Amino acid sequence: MTPSRVAFAAILAKDLRSELRTLQSLPAMALFAVTAFIIFRFGLDRTSLSGSLASGVLWATLLFAAVLGINRLFVAEREEGGFDAIRLAPIDRSVLFGAKAAALIVYLVALELVAVPIFAIFFLDSATALGPLVAVLLLADLGLAVVGTLISSMAVNSRARDLLVPLVLLPLVVPLMIAASGATEPLLALGGPGYHRFGTWLMVLGLYDLIFALVGWAVFDFLLED
Amino acid sequence: MYGKGLKPLSIATVVAFAVGFSLVFFYAPLDADQGFIQKIFYLHVPLASTALIGFVVGGIFAILHLRTDNNKWDAYSYVAIHISVIFGVGVLITGAIWAKASWGHWWVWDEPTLVSFLIVFLLYCTYYPFRYAIEDRDRQARYASVFAVTAGAFVPLNFLAVRMAQQLVHPRVFATSEGGLPGSMLLTFLVCFVAVALLWVTLVKFELTAKSASGQVNRLRRALDAPGPTGSSRIAPEVS
Amino acid sequence: MLAAFLPLGAPALPLDEAGKYVAGAYIVFVLLLVIYVGIMATKLQRIEKELREVASVAEQRAAESQAAPRRGPEGSSISDSLTPQGSRGGGA
Repeated sequence: MTPSRVAFAAILAKDLRSELRTLQSLPAMALFAVTAFIIFRFGLDRTSLSGSLASGVLWATLLFAAVLGINRLFVAEREEGGFDAIRLAPIDRSVLFGAKAAALIVYLVALELVAVPIFAIFFLDSATALGPLVAVLLLADLGLAVVGTLISSMAVNSRARDLLVPLVLLPLVVPLMIAASGATEPLLALGGPGYHRFGTWLMVLGLYDLIFALVGWAVFDFLLED
Repeated sequence: MYGKGLKPLSIATVVAFAVGFSLVFFYAPLDADQGFIQKIFYLHVPLASTALIGFVVGGIFAILHLRTDNNKWDAYSYVAIHISVIFGVGVLITGAIWAKASWGHWWVWDEPTLVSFLIVFLLYCTYYPFRYAIEDRDRQARYASVFAVTAGAFVPLNFLAVRMAQQLVHPRVFATSEGGLPGSMLLTFLVCFVAVALLWVTLVKFELTAKSASGQVNRLRRALDAPGPTGSSRIAPEVS
Repeated sequence: MLAAFLPLGAPALPLDEAGKYVAGAYIVFVLLLVIYVGIMATKLQRIEKELREVASVAEQRAAESQAAPRRGPEGSSISDSLTPQGSRGGGA
């Protein structure tokens, strides 16, 4: 039996290499985010944002950009028989869940490396909030990745794949968004970063990540049955 | 045999409602702050609690389905969620009526319980298109169970997050002001809760019986090789 | 604990106005229940119709299998048990 770490690393490496070569998700996600910022600038008729408005624009944009990537996460597996390969391989099937979620985290971090600085340049007065924001981003990415992988793996086998992911995913990530923007709003406040209930919101994010990682890990086996 | 026990169950439900509603309007005292409006709560809160418990029960049936691979659990899970969604519609409408009476608006974002419930309700509404999108029957049942389990885990998390979000603006005044409900109100509430819970069980059993009857007809049709529409839904699991 | 479900201080409406809202809420509940019963009634009608069809197919089969090999007495017990009983089964 191949040890899980080896399988995990192999699948993750394959995914990242494939994305690097084809570049099908990342540029689209990044472009979408930047365009969305521009739409918000004109839709809200604001050139500078702070507090809850800044937090809302940032998180809504990141979430919708993430959906683009989540839609495409399992397409290669579906079209090229990757699911069958996993079924046949002597590995724990939940490893696919872990590896795919890890790949998605990498995509989300890459997206944020582009989108967040641009957001700061477009709308923020100072960059001091960006440091602590990293913690919020990472925890939110983890939650988004596990839930996104779970939903994506089910949606890829259905008819209305591109509709299903946003439909089912968005209600599920509402608590994540509540916690993420709850932590971000004081960070982006007009006077300077505040940390009102910062720790509490991070804990809620952590709880969300933990629960859905466990649920995803536990049920993924059933998704791969024939 | 799903229909067995449906009659005593329905009778119990009717009796519970008769007693409960009588208590609401003839026994429970008028609330000092809310006045007569408070009477809506004897309907709204039991509907909400039952619906939420129903969603969790749907998740439990889903776990059983995944573990035993017996499709009857999938049918139970589907019906539990289906009836809870219907109760959810009642929760949101009675909640809106109460909001209008209390605050003057049909919807308020200040009530964390109502907002959380809306999010949960929306999630479970996606259960139907989700099932519909998956064509293979066995896969549909399995994925639906995964959905029900994930959504069941989601319910408490969601309530926690929304409640915390509200606390930023409105501190929870009522958590400590009254010690609790006066005994007469509590009794009325409990009876109404029992009545609504019984109604939920009755309707679930009723729905399963109807499905079972339909399944038996299909079974008969197959045995006789008779032509004709099987009339089976694309998403509702068959019971036989 | 249950008091937490009560909304924050809103002045109580006068009884006649409040009564309409409370009545509205309870009426909505009853309506939902009745609508559900109506939908289930439609399902029941469909089941009845299908059973009738299947019954007639079964009768037909039984009649065919009797007519060919045996020339027995008409109206045998098999077709009797499949025929809906008198006025109870027939009619709208």
